Amino acid sequence: MDQSHIRNFCIIAHIDHGKSTLADRMMELTDTVAKRDMEAQLLDSMDIERERGITIKASAVRMFYTAANGEQYMFNLIDTPGHVDFTYEVSRALKACEGAVLVVDATQGIEAQTLANVYLAIDNDLEVLPVINKIDLPSAEPERVMHEIEDVIGLPAEDAPRVSAKTGLNVEEVLAKIVDLVPAPAGDPNSPTKALIFDCLYDNYKGALSYVRVFDGAIRPGMRIRSMATGHEFDVTEVGVFTPQWKTVEELTAGEVGYVAASIKSVEETKVGDTLTDVANPASEPLPGYMKVNPMVFCGIYPADGSHYGDLMEALEKLKLNDASLSFEKETSAALGYGFRCGFLGLLHMEIITERLEREFDLDLVTTSPSVVYRVKMMSGETIVIDNPASLPDPSEIDYMEEPMVKASIMTPPDYVGPIMELCQNNRGIFEHMDYIEKDRVKILYTLPLNEIIYDFFDSLKSRSKGYASFDYELKDYQKSDLVRLDFLLNGDMCDALSTIVHKDRAYPKGRAVCEKLKDVIPRQQFEIPVQAAIGGKIIARETVKAVRKDVLAKCYGGDISRKKKLLEKQKEGKKRMRQVGTVSVPSDAFMSVLRING
Amino acid sequence: MTGVYVHIPYCVRKCAYCDFCSVPKNETAEAYPDALCREIELSRDRLPYEGPVPSVFFGGGTPTVLPAEALIRTLDTLRRTYEVLPAAEITAECNPGTASYADFVKLRAAGFNRLSLGLQSANDALLKAVGRIHTYDQFLSAFRAARDAGFQNINVDLMHGLPGQTEADYLTTLQKVCALGPEHISAYALILEEGTPLHQQVRAGETSLPDEDAVADMEDAGMACLEDRGYRRYEVSNFAQPGYECRHNLIYWNDEPYLGFGVAAHSSARGRGMWRRWSNVESIPTYLKRLQRGRLPTAETLRIDKKEEMFEVIMLGLRKVEGIPRQTFLDRFGLPLEQAFPEAFLEVQANGWWADSPARYALTKQGMDHLNTALCYFR
Repeated sequence: MDQSHIRNFCIIAHIDHGKSTLADRMMELTDTVAKRDMEAQLLDSMDIERERGITIKASAVRMFYTAANGEQYMFNLIDTPGHVDFTYEVSRALKACEGAVLVVDATQGIEAQTLANVYLAIDNDLEVLPVINKIDLPSAEPERVMHEIEDVIGLPAEDAPRVSAKTGLNVEEVLAKIVDLVPAPAGDPNSPTKALIFDCLYDNYKGALSYVRVFDGAIRPGMRIRSMATGHEFDVTEVGVFTPQWKTVEELTAGEVGYVAASIKSVEETKVGDTLTDVANPASEPLPGYMKVNPMVFCGIYPADGSHYGDLMEALEKLKLNDASLSFEKETSAALGYGFRCGFLGLLHMEIITERLEREFDLDLVTTSPSVVYRVKMMSGETIVIDNPASLPDPSEIDYMEEPMVKASIMTPPDYVGPIMELCQNNRGIFEHMDYIEKDRVKILYTLPLNEIIYDFFDSLKSRSKGYASFDYELKDYQKSDLVRLDFLLNGDMCDALSTIVHKDRAYPKGRAVCEKLKDVIPRQQFEIPVQAAIGGKIIARETVKAVRKDVLAKCYGGDISRKKKLLEKQKEGKKRMRQVGTVSVPSDAFMSVLRING
Repeated sequence: MTGVYVHIPYCVRKCAYCDFCSVPKNETAEAYPDALCREIELSRDRLPYEGPVPSVFFGGGTPTVLPAEALIRTLDTLRRTYEVLPAAEITAECNPGTASYADFVKLRAAGFNRLSLGLQSANDALLKAVGRIHTYDQFLSAFRAARDAGFQNINVDLMHGLPGQTEADYLTTLQKVCALGPEHISAYALILEEGTPLHQQVRAGETSLPDEDAVADMEDAGMACLEDRGYRRYEVSNFAQPGYECRHNLIYWNDEPYLGFGVAAHSSARGRGMWRRWSNVESIPTYLKRLQRGRLPTAETLRIDKKEEMFEVIMLGLRKVEGIPRQTFLDRFGLPLEQAFPEAFLEVQANGWWADSPARYALTKQGMDHLNTALCYFR
């Protein structure tokens, strides 16, 4: 299609502001999908996405829109995730677009994540088209939100469409605005091919697929293409678009968005942000935008039943095909046996991966305490990097340690400023700045250690603000910090899976809290079990699990022998799910239950 | 020898902790005795039967919510159909308030010679808390009426670990009951069963049970109290004056054959060369319908292979203080226990749980306290 009739755009929004619902309505209005085929949030194909109402993987869909002047336009809608963990996925999706539809909830106004994504869009030179959503709700304040968009972001919003994505009200107006305001692509179809990979996907039938935006030239089947970042070359077997079903096309030309199937074995070979070019007529320079993503949060993942190690490995390998940001390597723990050290973009990413492993692969897992990446300066002058408390060298060899700090931006109604600042302060936050951006909206900036926010910071923030506060963070730098490794001993034996690195000031309360929890979750055994927290060799907290006194069924259920046998079977089964830490049997879920304790 | 169990699924009201097959008495109770008699008659040629009946036990529910005549007619049918030994132990369970002196006289005259009275506690507040239908005084009247009617073998059922119960309270109950001199006392720890009203109350935080340690203290103190007063512990929860051990329960614990009649009743016997367990349907209407059509009400049958049968003998036999006679095990299976389960035998030994008695496989008191753990070694 002639580039002047192509519009490539994405929708950016804070979680729950109605992005996916708006996308659904657009697809309906353009007859991309018949209304009766509509499943709520069509673009979110994973169960977890739909249940949590969030978008994890970016998807793209092609629509045809006939404008009021009778001309037909090709719309390529690129969906983007809304959560802070997935900022990189957002940024690469933005690079494939000329415009962004900014959805703001008329009942909530601008949130931290809205701001973060708008700035990303502006940085990428996108035309931003504000849309005020949920005007059908009684608590909607479109007027106030309109001013907020103008004051806070500095975008004219007088003419912003006021819509209800839920009911479809005024969504047509959004489509018309896209034609008017979003610039047409301006690449050269005759120049050497340059196509940006903005997402990857593994399909069981087609293999590794790249979602691309073609800037110059074209891609068609039979072509030999090269990844400009890795140098790998492939033969294109198929190109196509999402409607949102797969649909093959003859070619993808300058300005268009679609997928490329080639003889690519794994998503590793074509990285997101990479540029594809024609081997026969290569481009001299790649498109800007390639960046390697580094995992920020690590944890150990183990099968609850040690014999499922092979299944876990297979499952991780399969997930990795779809999610290049997941990293993992083999690890062994004295308590948990064979498992994997996995790296994630953030805590939500970690939760999603573990949930997918359990749900899609039917695995029972034990995850260890999450850790960030620490820098350890050794006495010898050497610097080592660790993401696992177990690999921390002996304290006598350590000069000092550094931990990652983040710049956190929190948006909240003024009522909750006190409790939120207290929360940040309790989590070793350093206050940076506070802005009353409106009379009922405050932006608070804090520098916080990443290791304090990977546990339950987000949940605490939500509960302290009755759900109103929103939160975004970006990695700032590493700072020197007084960190110690907190170990836990069961009946005198150290349990490596429970070790965690904490700030010295937090070690005592955390040690006590975890011991108390362990006392409750470790079942009584035939002997008394001391549960201790220790730093180095020094015990800082202790609880006791008393010995079991009676483990016998009082009655025999009349003649119902099989019932009694079933109870024994259950007890035996429970024992199998226990991990042996020295002499102590610990149920698999005990490891999980101490994770979220923030002393 | 084959024991017989007869299930009467009716009660005045279900207690808060009860998860046995019982319902408040309803219109089906009219047809139930006929169905029972029919089942007994039908079973004679169709079920495995290995000779005379040393024990008949009417359990429930509360058998005495049915008219004494109904129980007597059932017993008569049994006598006509099977060879009930002249000296057989014939027990009826009874809750205070459901049978009069006249009823006891009729039952005694018909051949019932043992009565099992449900008391649970001598504290009226506790009785009320768990939904019992009677007071301690009503129990006393029932006990005296039974004695007057000629019952010389009476069991009293007691419980500890009831919501709000203390050790002192439990000991008071034991002292009061021992003073009456029943021949047998069953002293069960309350088991909180899922699906019972008590379970719901505890989960909702409306009531709470004494903790694990308090219950263990009650149990140990209670045991000492009973032994002091001449009641010998012969099974995990059962105590008797010498010679009054319950013949019927010993059939279960010795893993001997028994036939169960009535809704939800369980049976166990050797049929066609293999040990089998089977159970009857649990729905009263289904039970009645099956028998109207002249069919046995069996729901499912389990075939128990030799290894499983050995396990069951151990699981049941080790509940007895005297355990399993070596020779009995050897005769039944052709090899000694330590050869059938060498690893488990050694694990129990390593814990010091085998009692020092060369002719028997029996557990020490500590071993019996950890019976489930011990049994897991054998699985």
